[in-house]
Amino acid sequence: MYDVHGPKNEDFMTILARLQRWKEQGAISAEQHAHLASLSRGEPFSIFLELNVLLYAGVVAFVAGLGWTVSTWSQQLGDIVVLTVLSAILAACSWYCFSRAAAWSPAETPAPSPIFDYVLYLGSLVWCVELAYLENRFRVLSGQWDLYLLVSAGLFFFLAYRFDNRFVLSLALSSLAGWFGLKISHWSAHQDAAYRQCALLYCLLVGVGGALLQRRGLKLHFFGTYLNVVANVLFLALLSGVFDWQGYGLWFFALVIACGASLAWGLTRRQFAFVAYAAVYGYIGASWMLIRGVNDETFLLSYFVISAIAMLVVLVQIARRFGRSA
Amino acid sequence: MRLYSASSEETLRTRQLLTDWVSEGFLTKEQYQRLEPETVSDLRTTNIFLRLVLFLFTLISVGTAVALFFKVFLSGPSDQIYGIFFLIFAAACYAAAEVAVSRARLYRYGIEEALAVCSVGFLCVGMQATFFSGSPYSPKLESLVPAVGAFFSLWIWRRFGLWYAFLAAMIFVVFLPGYWTSSHSAQHLIVAGFYATGLICVAAVRTRHRFDYLDDAYSLVEAFLWLGIYLAMNLKLSPSDLPAQWWSGTRATPEFARPFYWGTWVLIWCLPPIVLTRGIRQKDRFVIAVGAIVSILTFVSNKPYLGWPRHTWDPIILGILLTGVAVFIRRWLARGPSGIRHGFTAARLSAKDKDWMNAGSAVFGLLTPQSITPAAQTGSKDFRFGGGASGGGGATGDF
Repeated sequence: MYDVHGPKNEDFMTILARLQRWKEQGAISAEQHAHLASLSRGEPFSIFLELNVLLYAGVVAFVAGLGWTVSTWSQQLGDIVVLTVLSAILAACSWYCFSRAAAWSPAETPAPSPIFDYVLYLGSLVWCVELAYLENRFRVLSGQWDLYLLVSAGLFFFLAYRFDNRFVLSLALSSLAGWFGLKISHWSAHQDAAYRQCALLYCLLVGVGGALLQRRGLKLHFFGTYLNVVANVLFLALLSGVFDWQGYGLWFFALVIACGASLAWGLTRRQFAFVAYAAVYGYIGASWMLIRGVNDETFLLSYFVISAIAMLVVLVQIARRFGRSA
Repeated sequence: MRLYSASSEETLRTRQLLTDWVSEGFLTKEQYQRLEPETVSDLRTTNIFLRLVLFLFTLISVGTAVALFFKVFLSGPSDQIYGIFFLIFAAACYAAAEVAVSRARLYRYGIEEALAVCSVGFLCVGMQATFFSGSPYSPKLESLVPAVGAFFSLWIWRRFGLWYAFLAAMIFVVFLPGYWTSSHSAQHLIVAGFYATGLICVAAVRTRHRFDYLDDAYSLVEAFLWLGIYLAMNLKLSPSDLPAQWWSGTRATPEFARPFYWGTWVLIWCLPPIVLTRGIRQKDRFVIAVGAIVSILTFVSNKPYLGWPRHTWDPIILGILLTGVAVFIRRWLARGPSGIRHGFTAARLSAKDKDWMNAGSAVFGLLTPQSITPAAQTGSKDFRFGGGASGGGGATGDF
């Protein structure tokens, strides 16, 4: 038997002692007590997370090696060998996923097998490698990378929703961001402003798309990923506008509105990442507006002391009212 | 020695376990509502996001307040004066951290953590400036700075229970041997010796806390120490003049005596099974994780040790190995009675695991494509592959 008493302290009670007391009080059943006590002692000990990390690391290492090998040895291996190998892996992954997947459901669905998500992720990454190889060797679309990215994004969105996979959803979002980025890089003048507009357009598209899908009840658990990506891209775009030397007032106004919205969302939904975004991005933007062009070191330091303390006071109030961890 | 009472911390842990068990359906909501009042702690906590932001703004306010003090009240003083004031600020920050905990009952709140971190930083800077600035270089005496940094970090770890303070102490230790000896082999051995001593102490102490709130803290510390010993002994991952390299940015390749070199090679193959065995026997999550990490590092650093060339397909083999091991273990465990063998299961038992998986898959899904995009093939002018544009998730560095 394990000793349920810990350090010598009258109030001190380990979880095992508490479970024993709850059982005696009738708050939990004997079966619950046995189960929870064994869980507290690590019996059984779950290595679910560790095995998933190993699988993820294995897939990433495999694809990294594949890409490295293809890019180094393609001329010696020849196009046919390279494309055959890549296509075979892609076909095997596709066959596995489509043959094993359960019927589609708009709700969150568990993976049909423990390795399913990683096979799908492997297939998606191999698709990227094969597409890159095809374009670099054969110039099928004459270097139009933006089209590849757009097609890939579409495919990944489909796969993410079909198989309920967050890895592939993130791939889709980064591919779409890449498409916007490449599209804009073809324009020559006013890069910063153009990038900013593109980022805002991306936020609008992803945000509205995510919200519409959520309203329709499609994979509601994906909405958090959309929101986090949109929030960060939006704040960075607005901040870049605030840092501009001209016309920054409007961007600052937009930043204030975005911070307010992020704060309200975070507090009402108890998603404190959005409170943190509002605090950090808002502080950077507001500080830049206030100290822009100021060279007096004493003023600058005083500003940071006072503003940081003010932020602490506000955040402590928020934490006291809303933000307990447990 | 510890600022928080054992009952307060254990109560907090119980509260977290209760929440987890309700999420997993092991307890009903009615049971939770009945038991929850018993798990109310006097400590004031917050969630991880607010904790990080509070930490950041405390660092900003303290750092700029000190800079403002120097700017307003001291104009062109000697380094010693600066140093003395840094020591005073270190004491003030530490006192503020103590007060924040004892009066306001802050627990992992960001504010007291940042104050404690500032006190360590100010102490080291203050000591260096007060006692060693402008005086002839005396390596033995100057080693006092990292030594005091290490001791004070350890004190912060014990007093406040901040895991990263222990990590800071380990980093301070890395700087110590450079002051004492110029022998690279000796430097490696000294660092490993310090970590091994720490490991013995932790292993002896933690048996008393097997199922209480301190178990996780000791588990993490033991894992850090195992990792530290491994990194100190793996010459391909930790060049002995690493601290100097950090400062200068240069990369030197020190020569080692052959027995020492091959001795460390044997050690890097011996350590992973030892760490893994220890982790599995103790059912210690962090130690098992470090065991897996050092196993992979051994595979990665074996070829450089032997002087063999790397091949482009090495990561493929590693990937197949990792995936194969994961699949084999999962299937082997699943075939046991109720999916359990030797007290281990591949099934998910905690809601926290799912949260970690969800957050990890979203973040790593965004990051991975950029990090694994291959570089261009050398020696071929017309063939360009990668550089952030390799299709799909490869995306681009432009956005």
